[in-house]
Amino acid sequence: MPAMRMNASPDRTVRSKADGTFAFDQVPAGRYVLQADAPGLARSSQEIAVPSAQTFAIALEPLEVPGGETLPVAVAAAPGVDTQALLDRIKVLEQRIFDLESSTVLSEPVTRVRRIEVWVDKNGNEYDHEVPGARKAVTYQRERVYRRENINEKLEEALSDAEKRNVKIGVSAATVTQMSNRTEGDGTTTRGHAYELASADLFFTAGLAQNTVFFADVVGLTGSPPDAEIPSATLLNSYTARLVRQNELNLREAWVRTEVFSQRLALVAGRLDLTNYFDHNAAANDETTQFISDALVNNPTLGLAVNGAGAAAVFDPKNGVNFKVGVQQSNPNATNLSQSIYSLAEAGYVARPPTLGEGSYRIWYRWNNSSDTAQKAFGVSIDQKLLPTLTVFGRYGSADAETGRDHFYSAGIQIQHGWVFNPLDTWGIGYAETDTALRRNEKLAEGYYNFRLTERLRLSLHLQRVMDSGGEASTFGYFLPGVRLQASF
Amino acid sequence: MRNAKRLLTAGGIAVALAGAVMTGVALRAAEAKVPDPTSVVMIVNRDSNDIAFMDIKTKKIVGKTFLGNNVNPHMVMMSPDGRYVVTGGTRANKAYIIDARTLQLVKIIPVDIAPEHLAFSPDGRWYYQGNPEGDSISVIDMVSLTKIKTIPGLVEPLNVTFSPDGAKAYVGNYGAHWVGVIDVRRHELLKKIQIAEVPGVAKLDPQKYLGEIKGINIAAPTNDGRWLYAADGDLGVVGVIDPREDKVVKVIRVGKNPWRIYMSHDGRYAITPDNGDQTISIIDLAANKVAATLEAGENMTGVNFAAGKAFVISSTSGFVYVYDMKTLRPAGRLKIGTNIQLETATTDTADQKLYLADSTENAVVIIDAKTEAVEKIFNVGLFPWGTHIMDSKDNYCH
Repeated sequence: MPAMRMNASPDRTVRSKADGTFAFDQVPAGRYVLQADAPGLARSSQEIAVPSAQTFAIALEPLEVPGGETLPVAVAAAPGVDTQALLDRIKVLEQRIFDLESSTVLSEPVTRVRRIEVWVDKNGNEYDHEVPGARKAVTYQRERVYRRENINEKLEEALSDAEKRNVKIGVSAATVTQMSNRTEGDGTTTRGHAYELASADLFFTAGLAQNTVFFADVVGLTGSPPDAEIPSATLLNSYTARLVRQNELNLREAWVRTEVFSQRLALVAGRLDLTNYFDHNAAANDETTQFISDALVNNPTLGLAVNGAGAAAVFDPKNGVNFKVGVQQSNPNATNLSQSIYSLAEAGYVARPPTLGEGSYRIWYRWNNSSDTAQKAFGVSIDQKLLPTLTVFGRYGSADAETGRDHFYSAGIQIQHGWVFNPLDTWGIGYAETDTALRRNEKLAEGYYNFRLTERLRLSLHLQRVMDSGGEASTFGYFLPGVRLQASF
Repeated sequence: MRNAKRLLTAGGIAVALAGAVMTGVALRAAEAKVPDPTSVVMIVNRDSNDIAFMDIKTKKIVGKTFLGNNVNPHMVMMSPDGRYVVTGGTRANKAYIIDARTLQLVKIIPVDIAPEHLAFSPDGRWYYQGNPEGDSISVIDMVSLTKIKTIPGLVEPLNVTFSPDGAKAYVGNYGAHWVGVIDVRRHELLKKIQIAEVPGVAKLDPQKYLGEIKGINIAAPTNDGRWLYAADGDLGVVGVIDPREDKVVKVIRVGKNPWRIYMSHDGRYAITPDNGDQTISIIDLAANKVAATLEAGENMTGVNFAAGKAFVISSTSGFVYVYDMKTLRPAGRLKIGTNIQLETATTDTADQKLYLADSTENAVVIIDAKTEAVEKIFNVGLFPWGTHIMDSKDNYCH
């Protein structure tokens, strides 16, 4: 190229000859990458060895950027374009058509609405930057961008949007079958009896506003649990606590939850089950997937027998420390909201003792106005991972009673992520002891194995052993084998 | 490569194309906009179809490289020698090569369908571009700037990692439960390493296992390159691979649906964000067991490490969850915004600041890891999808 100046490097230039060739001389021996750039053309890059007497050919191809600025391309400005150049160009275009045909998807430009900040002056004129006398305001504006979106993405987006707006419905259904085998005490009335309780919860969830949801749980139960015949101090089937009336649907929970202060504080109000917020033990708190004995699901000294109207506040800055307070009415026969009000407060801490996994430690305090003497209770609840597969748990509670104090404690282990038949199975063994102020003592042990059959279906086998003695009631003991089939979706 | 070869560039010239002659034209070499490739954060803007370059010190955009309408770049990366910036255009089925100094687009290379994640061989010679919808990897020679081969036989390949000697590459197949081993000398699929067996009980749950598959995102090497860790989403496990024999030596159960695994900078721990149960599992790499499972957020897309903490991005909640990596305890969460979508972040080489792509605000969020102060840089481009800093230990995409 005649009179062409070329930069070999920041400090070296050479001039091309009349035929367009150029040469760098006095280049130290070695291996180099020879590159050539030109506006509107793709870079040529090749490895060469120096010294070399070989002439290296450089060919640059067009660099086309759809929607980009059109740059002067060397070939376009060149007079007398030769046939070979045109053929090469046709070859490139053919390849582009081939690529286009093989990869084209049904698509259209994306249109979306964005929240933007603008400045509005006293005349209502809107600016996208700050101007004197204008105030900052938030508005919404459509935006269209160059993005191909295929039909799958469109469908997924539409379904996702629809799902967010809809009321979500969930179902948790369980059938618990238990047998009783009386081993201690007089009488044969409950020996060999079978029990079955079927439960179905319908959950409704809907978003009401920013960080605000409504939740309702409607439950229906039918059947005969062992608690109808066996007068144990605690329920042998925790589902029994839900049984208000046979074969009828009952509103178990209905509340609104909102989160404020950067979502650090959650406020819940409505008909509540405060045990969902307090004494929430990771290994022993769920009758649908873990133990079935109520003494290994809840702490009886919490004193919350039934759900009721109430409110709760949970402060959780997600740093491992949290605080909760709540009030709830725990008497379905109360004639006004002031009766049987239970107030609870809890502090929780996520710890990681040396060489151990994480553990949750909670301490709670309860007071209520249901009687003059039985007003206060306190308790602790712990779940601590000893190994990735092994979690130990424990609870203790002490509550005022009419004639003294009730005491309760429980402990046990939960196994998961190992020592199981199927990867997602779990099993556990627990023990609970209740001492009432009336000198009634109950010792209860339970073991369970939960088969996770599918994402939605679980089958668990249970074996319970309960011994009640002391006080004015008779002494009795039972073995209760059981099966629970649980579905949730 | 970096030391073996030097560069001869004839920059800013007009050269005859196939015999065509241009006379009387003298063009200057393009101006260097980024003299130091380590001085910028690269931002991949999906919907404005460009790569933006933000100066780390001034926090100003020093240049943008437009790639073309409907290109929709996915991941950006600097070549190990700092000479090139490359990205895959997901909707254009092409790889784009940008001169890192001038920020000029210098080459467009057709690859396979929907190129997303990419990696360079340690010597910088090979650029492996994963094509998830083409089930292949395109091999691009960074000397000739040409595609030399397409490696077929993969299943939704997402991330590629190279062995320290560059002899092998490991491919996470999100559409399967195995890691592909590639012979880099021949650019051929050599082996498939199954991370774990699908449990027998899966027969009862065809919807879970025959529906959408969530397999392996990446086989991430430990800092010394001695081991590889690969999380499998559907199986909820992390497989530990011995690359000397290319076999799984241990399977660690983690939370539900782990997205992928991220290595801490001190080499002691790895973290899987478990989107199925909104937890993170922290794996002790010396003991090869889960040291802690901690509560986290929804739709987690990335983990960054800095100032002795782990920062876990919860995409749709607008929060970044923070964990103390000494005590392995939660350390709060940072509210980035409301009704926003966060993408992925990179960490600076000093492990002091994070640069987080905030797509719906067209912003990059700078997080001071020590003070946890948050600063937003707006108008970086449309829908920033990811960020990248040369030599950062947290360069990843989603």
